[in-house]
Amino acid sequence: MFYLFNFLVLATFAWAVVRDDDREWKTYQKGFRRLEIERVTDALSKAKTDGEKESLTLQLKAAKRSGTAIKQAMAPALNRYDRCVTCHQGFDPLTNPTLVNGYKEHPYKAPEVAAHKQHNLVKFACTSCHMGQGLATTVEAAHGEVAHWEEPMLTGPYIQATCVRCHANFMTLAGAERARHGRELVKKLGCVGCHSFNGVGGEISVDLGDIADKPTSRIDWSHTGDGPPDAHGVSALPHHKRSIKNWIELHFTKDTLTLVPGDPEGHQCAPGQKCEPVPPSGMPPFYKELSKEDAADITTYLMGQTDNKVPSNYFVYAAPEPEPKFASGVKHGEHVFQKYGCAGCHGEGGKQGRRNFNAKANEQTKMEEGVEPTLVKVIGGYSRDELREKIQKGVPASAVAKFNEHGPVPPLYMPKWGEKIKGEELEHLLDFLFSIAEKQEAW
Amino acid sequence: MADNNAPAPASPNPAPAPAAAAKPTLPTVDDLMKEATNNQLWKSMFRNWPWQDTARHRARHIVDNLWLHLHPTKVRPRALEITFTWGLGGLSFLLYLILTVTGVLLMFYYRPTVELAYQDMKDLEFAVSFGIFLRNCHRWAAHGMVTIVILHMIRVFLTGSYKKPREFNWGVGVILLTLTLFLSFTGYLLPWDQLAIWAVTVGTNMAGATPLLGNEGPFANLLGMTISNDVRFVLLGGTTVGANTLLRFYVMHCVLVPLVTGALIMLHFWRVRKDSFSAAPRDPNEDKLDVWPHLVVREYLMAAACIAFFFFVSVAFDAPLEELANPNVTPNPSKAPWYFLGLQELLVYFDPWIAGVLLPGLIIKGLCAIPYLDTNPKGVGYYTWKERPFANAIFMFGIAMWFILIFIGVYCRGPNYFWYWPWENWLVHKPPPGATWSFPVWAGLLSLGGYGVLGMALPKVFSGDIDWKKANWGYGVFFLVLAAAMKLYGGIEAWRIVVVGILGWMTFVFGFLYPQKHLKELDFTRYSVTQSLNLTMMAVLIKMGLRLGLDIKYVLTLPQFNLNV
Repeated sequence: MFYLFNFLVLATFAWAVVRDDDREWKTYQKGFRRLEIERVTDALSKAKTDGEKESLTLQLKAAKRSGTAIKQAMAPALNRYDRCVTCHQGFDPLTNPTLVNGYKEHPYKAPEVAAHKQHNLVKFACTSCHMGQGLATTVEAAHGEVAHWEEPMLTGPYIQATCVRCHANFMTLAGAERARHGRELVKKLGCVGCHSFNGVGGEISVDLGDIADKPTSRIDWSHTGDGPPDAHGVSALPHHKRSIKNWIELHFTKDTLTLVPGDPEGHQCAPGQKCEPVPPSGMPPFYKELSKEDAADITTYLMGQTDNKVPSNYFVYAAPEPEPKFASGVKHGEHVFQKYGCAGCHGEGGKQGRRNFNAKANEQTKMEEGVEPTLVKVIGGYSRDELREKIQKGVPASAVAKFNEHGPVPPLYMPKWGEKIKGEELEHLLDFLFSIAEKQEAW
Repeated sequence: MADNNAPAPASPNPAPAPAAAAKPTLPTVDDLMKEATNNQLWKSMFRNWPWQDTARHRARHIVDNLWLHLHPTKVRPRALEITFTWGLGGLSFLLYLILTVTGVLLMFYYRPTVELAYQDMKDLEFAVSFGIFLRNCHRWAAHGMVTIVILHMIRVFLTGSYKKPREFNWGVGVILLTLTLFLSFTGYLLPWDQLAIWAVTVGTNMAGATPLLGNEGPFANLLGMTISNDVRFVLLGGTTVGANTLLRFYVMHCVLVPLVTGALIMLHFWRVRKDSFSAAPRDPNEDKLDVWPHLVVREYLMAAACIAFFFFVSVAFDAPLEELANPNVTPNPSKAPWYFLGLQELLVYFDPWIAGVLLPGLIIKGLCAIPYLDTNPKGVGYYTWKERPFANAIFMFGIAMWFILIFIGVYCRGPNYFWYWPWENWLVHKPPPGATWSFPVWAGLLSLGGYGVLGMALPKVFSGDIDWKKANWGYGVFFLVLAAAMKLYGGIEAWRIVVVGILGWMTFVFGFLYPQKHLKELDFTRYSVTQSLNLTMMAVLIKMGLRLGLDIKYVLTLPQFNLNV
């Protein structure tokens, strides 16, 4: 017993020692050292001059001598302390002063990247652009797709989100094209009709000015999964996929009626009580109109919307956009239509009203088929004064006609535009609207 | 002292005969030992060298050793049986030591500020050698200590070891238990993640409900309590859990509470020694056994097994760490540390000052009072149910309730604190529970008063012996009539009636039958204290039954006095 128990203590402690010594990053450091030794040895065998040989011999010695240690890039001004270079040694200025190498293999490779040249590691570290968990030293945790880490690494086009955070001029910035396209889509689709950005825009849904900071614990993940829902209607992303980026993107790749179904039938009721039906998300089904790339681009732009201010000397200002000039009042009206996000509900150019759950529409069999008015069809029924009044006063949610009287209040409604659209803008908007109206037959 | 300088007696093993003197041989281990120990340096360090296996030396091993002298030199054979103590007291102390060692090591790497604390957790996990191992050890040993200290209390109770002359030391033990909980609670905040700040928020909010001293407690305005001068404010160093709270909890966790606990542990040990160990003789003429080696070996083995266990757990399982603390994002649900979740569960049934202050206060005071209430001289130093049926039944009933409440709090409460079975997915949206209702004040006063008066009086009024079989049948018939009435007139679902029936039966047995049989001989003071504590415990159970079974929010509600029960 005495020996057995002592042995157990020793064995468990030895296990702890082994586990402590056996760290993932060491494998990668050894791998990098092996590559370096191979490369320098190879170069040495081909070297011609004595000077070359001498320098390469020194390099070889340095490579052989290099110990294993955690390395980090620090940018205190941004509060970034990143240990990424522990494994990605090609980017460690001490190990590889040029920060470029010819290796093909991940994580050793360090290709030439223009953005890396412009963003000094000492000033920016890694995670200010790439995100991820800089303090971590295991593959999974460092790349950040783990439970309880709010900023997983941004890869592919999504990394352009962090360009948007500092570069106010990202619309003209080389390398930020996907984010720019995202911004253009936001304009074209009329997102600002319902959403505002830092207080500018619509009031129907949430402000997107700091959407990238939304805590994932505030999100209801019950209907985010790819698989079929279980017996309770739940299908959720696995924990490590529950990031704000994925949540945003789902709004463009999945039907929002399934993503945020609400409780339109009023099932979620305390026993024996009557309760109000809750409408599903009012967000139109953009997944029908957008390609995968479009969805990624909008997500990228939105992931740039954060309240985490960078120090002013990190911020790149943009020249003010030139005042647009318009050939005619109708053209200006079209601009006004886009500027205030009218397309969000009424469709691009007012050509096709978008979905509004349980709103009354023609030829409707269920609540899902409710739509916003298609302007080209209905404008003709208004006089100019009537239409002006309608835009200025709006239609409150309670006044939107329901398809099913016992169903929920339709989530979308016409806001009061009286304070926002007035004067010349309003008149030109009216000009534009009447110009697109389908001619009604006189009778 | 004379012994110290006495010449070393001859070795008990005579030196081997110099048969092979011709060629030089390697020295044996014995020779080397002799060489190493037979000198002034060694003898100055170890008293009574060389060691001989005599009764005198075995005793001197204990009394001449600073670390061992808290033991007696001899103990009763029963005290050595693992099934008597289960080694729980010793393990509690061992865990205190493990926590001190790992805690001091962790202090080298931990900075108690809002900006750095969480970062240091990440450093411990990813960069510090043995960092995560140390943190795991500290975390799991802390949970282990809470558990083992509670189990130790149960053991001491069941062996009657709190009875005369050990009443005082039992009280010291109860205080040590609360200090253990407080130590664990103050440490809970230090990682500064979401789990930490919200658990501490829940825990400290209960302090804000203290009568008189908390700003949300009854009679707060008598002492002019506001959110920024009450007892919760003192605890937090602010009105919410923030930077000051972190520093306060750090100092309490690392310095203040461990010192007080250490001092009380010394007192506790000293009293164990002075009051003598409680194990009863198996045979009146038995000889006591030497502590060295019998007890010391057992203690060593238990300690080794415990250390091996916690090392294993610490390598295999990582301590939880959630997102960085964010005072603006409240997790749903927010839960206190597990050992306080029983009390948090009570918040469902009672006002915060009752659930979070009054009831825990009564538990601590009630535990301390036990040795003075229990006049039964039997059952000291051995396990017996027959000789102390009432004490054991009521105590174990309370312990079971404590752990069932904790179980409900940990495993059965999901988002919005709605009831989710352990196997249910928290992402499933549940409809809110049905509407609750309260008794009108007159009915509340009547039923509460009736419960108190009848509960106190009935066991004394029925002076004769009650046939339990008949009584239970009686209850059965009464319940059937009641159930039929509830079904017919109330249209109440069957499971609710069953819940009410079972809890009602428990109250009948533990609140009436047991006291009627065992308490009626007690003097007036002891009887009233014991039975009122017992009735309070039963009242908690009844209230749970009424709430879960019949949706009764409050039996008596007097909002003007913050009294809602």
